[in-house]
Amino acid sequence: MLNKLKIGIRTKITLGYIVIILCLLVSGIILNNQITFLQKERNYIITNDTKTLELTNRIERNILDMESSQRGFIITGESSYLKPYNKASENWEYAYDELYRVLENKPTQQQKLVEIKTAMEHWITTSGEPSIKLKKENNTEALKEIYKVDVGRKDMDAVRDQFESLRSVIYANMQAQVNDLDKRNSIVTLTLLGILVFISVIAIFIANGISRSIVNMLTKVTQTIQEIAASKSRKKGRIHVKTNDEINALVAATNELLDVLERREWLQVNIAEIVTKHQGISAVTKLAETFLSELAQKTQSSLGAFYVRETTDNNVLFVKKAAFAEAGDDVGIESFKFGEGLIGQCALEKKVLMYNDIPEDFRLIGTGLGVVSPKSIFIVPIIFENDVIAVVELATMTSFSELQQELVKQVIETFGLTVNSVLGRMEIVRLLNESRAMTEELQMQSEELQAQSEELQMQTEELTMINEQLEERTKEAELKSRELEQAKKELEESAEQLLLNSKYKSEFLANMSHELRTPLNSILILSEMLAENSQHKLLEEEAEFAKVIHSSGEDLLVLINDILDLSKVEAGKLDISFDEMNMSEVPVQIEQIFAPVAAKKNLQFHISKDKNVADVFYTDENRFQQILKNLLSNAFKFTEHGAVNLKIKQLGQEHLTSNMQNVSADWLEIKVSDTGIGIPKDKHQLIFESFQQADGATVRKYGGTGLGLSICKELSRLLGGWISLQSEEGQGSTFTLTIPSLPNGIEEQKYFELAVHEVVATNEVRELEELTEEQPSEIQEFSQHEVEIFQGKNILIVDDDYRNIYALKNALEKRGMNILVAKDGIECLDILQTNDEIDLILMDIMMPNLDGYETMSIIRKQMKITDLPIIALTAKAMKTDRDKSIEAGASDYISKPLNLEQLVSVLRVWLVSKGS
Amino acid sequence: MERFPLQQKMYTDLEIDLLLEAIYRLSGFDFRQYNRSSISRRINNRMRMNNIPTISRVIENVIHEDGFLEQLLNDFSINVTEMFRNPSFFKAFRQEVVPYLRDYPEIRIWHAGCATGEEVYSMAILLQEEGLMDKAVIYATDMNEQVLEKAKRGMFPINKMQAYTKNYMLAGGIQAFSEYYKTDYQYAYFHPSLLKNIIFAQHNLVTDQSFNEFHVIMCRNVLIYFLPELQNKVHYLFAESLSKNGFLCLGDKETIGFEDIISKYKEIVGNEKIFQKVE
Repeated sequence: MLNKLKIGIRTKITLGYIVIILCLLVSGIILNNQITFLQKERNYIITNDTKTLELTNRIERNILDMESSQRGFIITGESSYLKPYNKASENWEYAYDELYRVLENKPTQQQKLVEIKTAMEHWITTSGEPSIKLKKENNTEALKEIYKVDVGRKDMDAVRDQFESLRSVIYANMQAQVNDLDKRNSIVTLTLLGILVFISVIAIFIANGISRSIVNMLTKVTQTIQEIAASKSRKKGRIHVKTNDEINALVAATNELLDVLERREWLQVNIAEIVTKHQGISAVTKLAETFLSELAQKTQSSLGAFYVRETTDNNVLFVKKAAFAEAGDDVGIESFKFGEGLIGQCALEKKVLMYNDIPEDFRLIGTGLGVVSPKSIFIVPIIFENDVIAVVELATMTSFSELQQELVKQVIETFGLTVNSVLGRMEIVRLLNESRAMTEELQMQSEELQAQSEELQMQTEELTMINEQLEERTKEAELKSRELEQAKKELEESAEQLLLNSKYKSEFLANMSHELRTPLNSILILSEMLAENSQHKLLEEEAEFAKVIHSSGEDLLVLINDILDLSKVEAGKLDISFDEMNMSEVPVQIEQIFAPVAAKKNLQFHISKDKNVADVFYTDENRFQQILKNLLSNAFKFTEHGAVNLKIKQLGQEHLTSNMQNVSADWLEIKVSDTGIGIPKDKHQLIFESFQQADGATVRKYGGTGLGLSICKELSRLLGGWISLQSEEGQGSTFTLTIPSLPNGIEEQKYFELAVHEVVATNEVRELEELTEEQPSEIQEFSQHEVEIFQGKNILIVDDDYRNIYALKNALEKRGMNILVAKDGIECLDILQTNDEIDLILMDIMMPNLDGYETMSIIRKQMKITDLPIIALTAKAMKTDRDKSIEAGASDYISKPLNLEQLVSVLRVWLVSKGS
Repeated sequence: MERFPLQQKMYTDLEIDLLLEAIYRLSGFDFRQYNRSSISRRINNRMRMNNIPTISRVIENVIHEDGFLEQLLNDFSINVTEMFRNPSFFKAFRQEVVPYLRDYPEIRIWHAGCATGEEVYSMAILLQEEGLMDKAVIYATDMNEQVLEKAKRGMFPINKMQAYTKNYMLAGGIQAFSEYYKTDYQYAYFHPSLLKNIIFAQHNLVTDQSFNEFHVIMCRNVLIYFLPELQNKVHYLFAESLSKNGFLCLGDKETIGFEDIISKYKEIVGNEKIFQKVE
């Protein structure tokens, strides 16, 4: 195209004009020639013909002058007349020559002229010259002669005629020439017209051609533009022309304009798209994510990060809010400060940074197939009110086009506002949430306070109650303590008595047992001997009898021994000797004794001893074994199925009370447990009493004296320990013997302390029992509160109906209330003014003089009595009555006819003090 | 022990975390998402009352001391309520919600966190007065069984009745309030007929799911004790449990703070926090 010659519209038009002007010039020259030629012709005609005529005339005059001069001379003879003749004869030949030359081209006229010359010469020769000569010679005769003939005259006439003829010829010639000129003139005019027509035609053609070429192009361009304008696709077409003129330039410019427009449209559309995506986003992270992903998409970036400025404790930090990576992994540092790195620099300088030379070790962009490093990075600060509030960084594997950069820059321009408004909105939401949380917190605290105050109130109430009870109890206790003191004295006395008695009894029993044993011994020995029947003298039956006697005797002996032991213990006659005991032997010994029993009753028997039980234990071995045996035989006795276990274990220091530690640091715990019939809880205490078993049925089934446990209890006490029992009916029982190791025996004092130990435990139980027993009586006490609510309360009844008043008065006075009566509102107000001890008003509504509403209004508004409860008595099912009552200041209302129970309930509600 | 306040706070937080974890593991009651400020105040209160020096000791007591856990659980449940609490709410309910309910063949109302039941009885009285009680069932739930037992008895301290009477009247009651109760020297006993269509049940908003579809859910001043996440969770539970066009009634200081939930409701009585489900 560059080679193509540029023919612009201007050239075209100029060329056209040049053609026309050339045509005009040519035609002008032609015309000018013609006209000049005509002019020359005319001038020629004018000068030539005038000369011809003048010369002709001059010749004629010369001849005439000669004639007249000749005649004057002839007549006068004066030679002065001859002068014109001479002059003319001299001149005419010159004129003739000249005329002859002039008429060169006109032979006919030349002919005529020659003839004129001839005639003139003839005259001169024949008449002129001879006459003059003759005159001079004074030859008058000859002269006369000549004149007689007068040849001269004849010549003269001929000359004149010839001249006339010549002149007419000249004139005719002139006329012919003029006619010729006229003819030529009209030809020239015609030619001129022709040329004009021709040029016009050419001009029209050229004009038409040029204009058509221009208009065609323009139409085409216009059409294309219209098509483009009408086309809806984003990518517009372009105009194409083949010419190389201004239109082409116009088209090029238009195409450029389209390009620019398209780019601008792309920008606007994308900006609009990005901006639309932001709408309604209320969280900056979401905003950042959306924005970044949009931006990255539009700019074909592979990596991107979005940082938002956060100010904490005067520290300004840009924190990452969103990251974009095509590979999907996390990119970008978490935060940076002003001036930290390129991005920090960008934030500091508020300038867009664009880098195309990325160092090799820059973060690589991961793809499915590998990693590539980005080619350019683009860091843009987001500015709001001249402050950088966020920074976006993008990286791509290709490079950012101008358009993409422009897009980013333009989007960023307004984005500052968006970020700021979102941040603002977040701040507002945060504050809103905060204030909401605070409101809730307040509500919560107020509820808690209410709850606490309620709790406190309840506690106070409880405390008051407890206090009251305590006071009462103290009184009772004082009373009781006095009684107790009294009783104690009595008891002490009787105890002494009892002790004495018991001692006597025990001593007696001890003596008795001893006395009993002596005869029993002989019975036993003899019956045994009989039963052995060594000499076979007895019948088998008799031997059997003897066996029965022996075994009964043995039972009796056991019983007597038991009684003896018990009485010895109770009488303080039992000797306890503390000594070394080898604990390791105990299980073996016990095993030997009870294994056969267990085998006989088909029971399992386990003995276990903890390893930390010391081998040496200081106690009374006999008594210890007695206790064990007793407990075990009991266990075997009351167990039909299952097992009996014996466990010996050392009590750890942590289980010892200070009392126990005072006694010894070394305590054993021996547990005998069985799976037998067990003992009901209420019998636990009983079975340790002498001669007691759980119940009569037990005695019948199992036999026994019931002394065993009493003895064990006493023995264990003597050994410095005690026995306790855990058992439930049917669940088996466990007896636990707890005894100390006492190398130096035991002091009296310690017995006492240990006894206290036991007593404390039982007392607690009793106290609890007392408490539960007392509960019903409390309720009875409270019923007095009921009376307290109504007792002595002053109730003012305002009613005009005597029957109502009577009924109410009656019912309320029964409950201890004082009743005042007012028959109408006025009376009611009077009473209120004089009596300020009214507790409650029952107010009828329908009354003469001053009705209930007005009365209440006056009480509340004029008398300013606001706390006094007023119960309005309204007609049933009349809501307006109730509403009016409330408006007038009633505290509550009841519908008539009155229900007594309801009335009492309401009175309770309004008479009860709020605090209670 | 001398510590910096921040460190102290960290220790306290840890202790509370452990305590709440212990309570959850031992009792199934989950207070881990309750508002910390309230919980810590309740714990401090108990510590003051029992003279316990540290929260760690509280944990020990919770684990080893019989009855302590129950006591603490009782402390945690705040049972502040009253009859016709915020009377204007009940008035608005009567005016704006009841007309909708009239058209329903049956009305299921869930009163979540009913405490000692004052508001349940209030609602029952309101429904009775509007003639809706026969077709209504009120499911009154609380996580605390002790207070439910109280609620079932329908007896309230007589000294509160004056205030309740005022509330009743302000709430637009159309009878004499005394028609609904009898009294003795200590309590006002509400008429058993009110109990006819009330079902009391133990339900824990934190751990339990919805159990029916309801036309009205009342949950007033309960969610304030929860952290926002838990509030959100419970709100989802409510939204799920509400029937089409059902009503959600919150306490006067409460709001639905979450946009995705709030869009499910329109506020029909703004100041009274009565919302109607729109979808």
